[in-house]
Amino acid sequence: MRTYETIIIIHPETAGDAYTGVVDKYKGILDELGASTIAVEEWGTRKMAYIVKKQERGTYVLFAYEGNPDSIRELERRLRIDDNVIKFMTVQLEGGYEPSGFVRKVEESETASPAKEESSEKAPEAKKEAAKEEAAEEASDSAKTEEETA
Amino acid sequence: MAYQPRRRFTRRKGCRFCIDKTKIDYKDTRSLRYFVSERGKIVPRRISGNCAEHQRKVTEAIKRARNIALLPFTASHSLDK
Repeated sequence: MRTYETIIIIHPETAGDAYTGVVDKYKGILDELGASTIAVEEWGTRKMAYIVKKQERGTYVLFAYEGNPDSIRELERRLRIDDNVIKFMTVQLEGGYEPSGFVRKVEESETASPAKEESSEKAPEAKKEAAKEEAAEEASDSAKTEEETA
Repeated sequence: MAYQPRRRFTRRKGCRFCIDKTKIDYKDTRSLRYFVSERGKIVPRRISGNCAEHQRKVTEAIKRARNIALLPFTASHSLDK
């Protein structure tokens, strides 16, 4: 038995009962496949870094469990069939499962979801600025390294 | 370097991860952002200052994060539309 975690992105329009239904379904499937679930983290709906299946947002759910490779094969086969799941990824956890602190940050942005439209507008700008500075400095850095090597 | 007035991209000597002993996790997009350029490219080791081991882990984490849409492969496919 190995520890794995699977992140699935559920279609953003799958909300409420349908959403909990999907989550419960996969909890059930994990049980059925003989995997012992360690944790389920629901990250909520967040903006994805790029468009997946014509969707900008997705609802992230993370399952951490112990299972064997066969259970993963079956789980992924079923995930591929499910139209509610737009993306998924399974990773083997070498050091075992640790609750991630990053989720808290996600929840913070979740609570600000009414103002999300605004924040999402602002965020790219801020990011852009930061990135610009970074790039500028990066350029100066590389210029510097070039000098050094010269 | 006399002509460099400001430098917020503080280039610490040595590897941040070796000093801070922080774990590298693909879910931690906040700290991974630091190692991604504006265009979404992975910052090379000569600029990030990471040691070989940690650069490898950062690279791995960034690639995983890209796979699950936590980090972009490249800038602005969504912004154009």
